[in-house]
Amino acid sequence: MRHPTEGVLRRVVDEPAGVSDPDHQHVAACARCQRTLDEVRADAAAAAGALAPAGPTSDGVAGARTDAAWHRLRATASTGAGSPARSTATQRSRSWLRRPGAVALGVAVVVAGAGTAAASDWFRIFQAESVQPVSFTSTDLVDLPDPSAFGEVTTSTSGKEVQVRAVDSARAAEQATGIAVPQVAELPRGVTGEPTYQVGDQGSSSFTFSAERAAASAAAAGEELPPVPAGLDGTTVRLTAGPGVLATWSSSAGLPALAVARGVAPTADSSGAPFSEVRDYLLSLPGLPADVAAQLATFTGDGSTGSTLPLPVPADRATTGTADVGGVPATTITARDGSTSAVVWTQDGELTAVAGTLSTDELLAVARGLR
Amino acid sequence: MLELRPDLEAVFRRDHALVVGVAARVLGSSADARGQAEDVAQEVFLSFARSGVPAEQARGWLCVAATHTALNALRTRRRRAAREDAVLGGRAEHEAVTGDVADDVVVLDERRAVRDALARLPRKQATALVLRHSGLSYAEVASALHLSPTSVGTTVRRAESALREELRNRASSH
Repeated sequence: MRHPTEGVLRRVVDEPAGVSDPDHQHVAACARCQRTLDEVRADAAAAAGALAPAGPTSDGVAGARTDAAWHRLRATASTGAGSPARSTATQRSRSWLRRPGAVALGVAVVVAGAGTAAASDWFRIFQAESVQPVSFTSTDLVDLPDPSAFGEVTTSTSGKEVQVRAVDSARAAEQATGIAVPQVAELPRGVTGEPTYQVGDQGSSSFTFSAERAAASAAAAGEELPPVPAGLDGTTVRLTAGPGVLATWSSSAGLPALAVARGVAPTADSSGAPFSEVRDYLLSLPGLPADVAAQLATFTGDGSTGSTLPLPVPADRATTGTADVGGVPATTITARDGSTSAVVWTQDGELTAVAGTLSTDELLAVARGLR
Repeated sequence: MLELRPDLEAVFRRDHALVVGVAARVLGSSADARGQAEDVAQEVFLSFARSGVPAEQARGWLCVAATHTALNALRTRRRRAAREDAVLGGRAEHEAVTGDVADDVVVLDERRAVRDALARLPRKQATALVLRHSGLSYAEVASALHLSPTSVGTTVRRAESALREELRNRASSH
């Protein structure tokens, strides 16, 4: 029998009921697994010690604390003020961005935004020159197909996510990325102090369509795969974005209150099939909600490289609008709970976003005052 | 007054201590950190109050949100601490540190090492680690992080191994 993984051994330490009988029997009889188990147990104990919170509190104290905290929450919520957790919103969007389905959407949206260029080698099929929201519901995302079911997905940094790292100053951010950090002319009321700076490197992700894999996945799911157009098999689409810079101002609670980000706008290149075919085919795949596909299909482009970047916005969580920032059309996004807003636009190949726990008007004032 | 979900108070009373505990595991056990953990819980419940998170997912959602919010706060704090160190560091070297003060410094240093190590872990590992050590079952962690229960074991194991490695390196470099 194969040795159980260290993940299984880890569960033996603190939730043995979740481990199968054969695994238990193996571990009990296997000297090698026993040695590993000792190590796993020691690491788990060390972590438990390192993470242990301060001394125990009696239930009475904890109960009183909960009461006090509840009244505080009620007071904050009833004024509608407070500092809703922008970082929570960030976390939410980040976690769905990591879902494989979101990659499919990413490929689909960029594909949808492309023109109809056709060439044999790598060619630029898309360069974001404006932004427009595409609405979907949160449940749509969960239902999106996993792109690895249709082909090979690779990222430029061998499977790792693009690293975002902190730098000390606006100057350091510019040196690292070649992008000047936008200067805020006047901070909105309630936002003070110096920002912190982060930079992200250029990242790219490629998707190579495999007719064989798509057919196998469809068969496994009992779905009928639309006929694959000639030349689509083996076509690779490469998405590239960044580098970018981010400046964040914290509120008094230490949570982000205002963020200004600027980066090189996403571009896409392709080798292989004419782009309209790739787009239409991807949009016809089972799993992409019909209304989302319909919205994406309108991003036909006009054959030129400049295109509209569809910005996926969960319609059940946010509303969108349009605004003008220094003569450039911008998209505004406002969380339905009023907690967070953002303004996004592209100009000269750069994508800029201003976001925060502020009103759209306040953010627009910041956006228009950027230098 | 904004509309709040009707099950808020019940969920709050049930999970508040747990959520504060999650944040405290990330932020540490000093009095200052305890207050910060309470703040994180407030932020997280406020977001939850205005959200449409299904009731049966509430606990996992709250714990994941608390971990992320606390890790973000930690990052801000570490940057501030680094700046303060840069200012104070030179002075401390010139002062003789003895007795209890030296012990305190060691404890403080070790706590900071834990926070540093946590902040360096991949987010998913750090979150799985904190959630499991906060008492969520493998099944609860799996559902909150969209993992299989088996990969929860693997993820927690990797996090613990990396954490101990970091702490060992830290100890040997002193």
